[in-house]
Amino acid sequence: MHDIQPTDRVSLEEHYAISQHAYAEARMLQNHQYKEWLEEIVADDIHLWMPVTERRYRKDKRPEPGPDDMAIYSDDYSEVKQRVDRMYTGTVWMEDPASDIKYLLTNIEAFHTDQADLFKVYTNVAYIRHRQQDERTEHVGSRIDLLRKVGDKFQLVRRKITLDARVTVDKNLYFFG
Amino acid sequence: MIDSTELVDTKNSTQAKKIFGDQDVYEQELERIFGRCWLFLAHECMLEKTGDFITTTMAEDPVVVTRAKDGSINAFINSCSHRGNRVCTADSGNSKSFVCNYHGWVFGSDGSLVDVPLEETCYHGDIDKSKFGLPKIRVESYRGFVFGCFDDDAPSLNDYLGDWGWYLDTFMVGAGEGMELVGPPMKSTLKCNWKVPAENFVGDAYHVGWTHAAALEVLGGELAMLAGNTAEMPYDQLGLQVTTRHGHGFGVIRQAAASIHVKREGFDKFNQEMIPKVAEKLGQPRADLFDGHWNCTTFPSCSFLYGTNIFKVWHPRGPNEIEVWSYVLVHKSMDDATKKEVVKQAVRSFGTAGTLESDDGDNMVNATSINKGAQARKNRMSSTMAQGHEGPHPDYPGIVGSSFVGETSYRGFYRFYQEIMNADSWQAIHEKDDEWDDMFENKDFWKNKLAGDK
Repeated sequence: MHDIQPTDRVSLEEHYAISQHAYAEARMLQNHQYKEWLEEIVADDIHLWMPVTERRYRKDKRPEPGPDDMAIYSDDYSEVKQRVDRMYTGTVWMEDPASDIKYLLTNIEAFHTDQADLFKVYTNVAYIRHRQQDERTEHVGSRIDLLRKVGDKFQLVRRKITLDARVTVDKNLYFFG
Repeated sequence: MIDSTELVDTKNSTQAKKIFGDQDVYEQELERIFGRCWLFLAHECMLEKTGDFITTTMAEDPVVVTRAKDGSINAFINSCSHRGNRVCTADSGNSKSFVCNYHGWVFGSDGSLVDVPLEETCYHGDIDKSKFGLPKIRVESYRGFVFGCFDDDAPSLNDYLGDWGWYLDTFMVGAGEGMELVGPPMKSTLKCNWKVPAENFVGDAYHVGWTHAAALEVLGGELAMLAGNTAEMPYDQLGLQVTTRHGHGFGVIRQAAASIHVKREGFDKFNQEMIPKVAEKLGQPRADLFDGHWNCTTFPSCSFLYGTNIFKVWHPRGPNEIEVWSYVLVHKSMDDATKKEVVKQAVRSFGTAGTLESDDGDNMVNATSINKGAQARKNRMSSTMAQGHEGPHPDYPGIVGSSFVGETSYRGFYRFYQEIMNADSWQAIHEKDDEWDDMFENKDFWKNKLAGDK
C-alpha cells in the first residue's frame, strides 16, 4: 500500500483536520504516551518503514529500496507493539532519566487517493532529542503517510520515513513516528 | 612509543582505563594494529560483476574495493595520486573507472592511472602513468569474506585467523553453501573507543541479563530467563568461551541460535536440518556448537552475532568515536523468505533502531567519556571473571573457558593487544607462537573438569 498514489489535494477543512491530527500525534509521543499512541493512532494493518538509502551516483540505475530490502524499521503492528511494551518494562536504563524529544512537522501536504477513506500525507520532519546533561541529536527527513479515516478520526496505515543523513549521528533511532 | 605492558596486565587481568580515549595510545594502534592486521572490507557477493565497487575505510583510511576485468578483487586507498582528493564518493555501484573531481585524473578498476587531462599539451608527454596508480592494499578472502591488510609482512589471512577459522567453518562450511552478507549497511556513530564494542562482542555475555533486561523481557525466547540475572542457571553447562592466538574469540550459548528472533520458523527449520550435516562434514564437536548463539570478534574490530546474525564493523574515528556499520549474515542456501525473515529479525534487535542495540549505547559512550577525568583515567579496569577456569580442551582449539559468561576471551583479546602494540614486526610475533597461551596457567583445567563430570 506504500505505492498508493495521491489524487486531488484535500479541502481546507480536511487539511486542517489532518494537520491537527499530525500535531496531536506528535504531542502524544512527546509526552511519552506510547500506549495511547498505539491504541488511538496506529492501525492494525500498519507498516512502519524506514529504508536504508545509499549514496549512489546519479547514473546508477538500481531501483530505490523496496519494503523487502534492508530497513532500519520495517514493523507490522505486533512489532510496533513490542517496541512500545519495552518502554513500560521499567528496565530501559537509557530512558531513565527520560529523554526529551520534539517533533517539528512542516510542509504538510495532504491528498485524496482512489479510495475514499484513504489519504496520502507528505510531511517534512525534524526529530530533536535531548538526553542526559548536554546530549542533543537531530534527525531531519521526510515522512510519507497513508491515513485511513474512521468516523471523525484518522488511523496510521503506512508510514515511510526517509532520513537525509547517510550516517546516523546518534546512539540509536529508537523513537516512534 | 608507549610500553603496552603498562596498558595491559595479563597476570592480573587489568587494563589501564586510558586505553579508552588516549590520543597517543590511539596513534600507536593505528600504526601497529590497524596498519598490520587484516581488516574486513566486503563480502564477495557485493562485488559480483566486473566494475562493481564499494567504498569503505580501514581505520580512518578511505578505501575503494573493486572487481577488476580479470575477476580479481582489488583494494586501494581512495585518494588521488596527484593532489590527494578522494576519487570515489559513492557508497557502491558499477564503474569502469574512477575520475577524480579535482583535475580529472582517471583510474581503472584495478587502480591504475589510465588518463591524465592535458597530458600532451601541459605535461608535454612527460609523465609516467605507471608510477601513479592508486596505492594498492593486500586483499585476501576467507569463505567469501574479503579482508585487506596494509602490511606485506603480515601472515596470510588464513594464518591470521588461525584456529578462529576452524570455528568459523562451523557455519561457513558446515552448513549449506556458506554465508553471505546483506546490505547496504546501516551506519551510525557512537562516541566511544573502538575497543569497547570489540571487547563486548568478543566475550561479554555477562552484560546480557542486565543491560538488555527490558528487551529480553518483551522478546521472550530462550534468553528471557537471563533477564535481571535472577534465575538460577547451571552456567557452566550452557556454553563455552574461546580465545585464539591472534586475539579473535567468541562465546557461545548452546541451543540458542535464533533466540533473539521472534519470527523464526524458517530459520529454526534450517538450523535443525543442518545440524546432522555439520556433524557429517566437520564432526560432532562443531555440530554441538552449530545451533548455539555466538558473540564474536575477529581482532581487531569486526564483530558479529551468529544466530542473531548481525555483523558489525567498528570503524575508529579518533580515540573517542567510532562509526558502526551493520550488515546481516545469511546462509546462501536459505530460501528467500527465510533470508528476509533473518534480515528483518536481526535488524529489529541490533540495527540502528534495534531493541537491544538501543540498550548498549550509553554504556559504551560512558566507559569512554569518563576518561576525560584526569584522575579517573589513572585507574584500571578488570576482566578477572573465571580466571583459571579455562585451558586447552581435547575437542576445541585455542583456550577454552568454562562458561559463556566469563572473561576468557576478553583476556585473550587484550593479551594479543598487548603483544602487537609492543611488537616491532610480525616476525617478533611469530617468535612467540609456542608460548602465546602461557598466561592461561591452568593447563589441566579441562582434563580435571571432564574427568569430574564423568
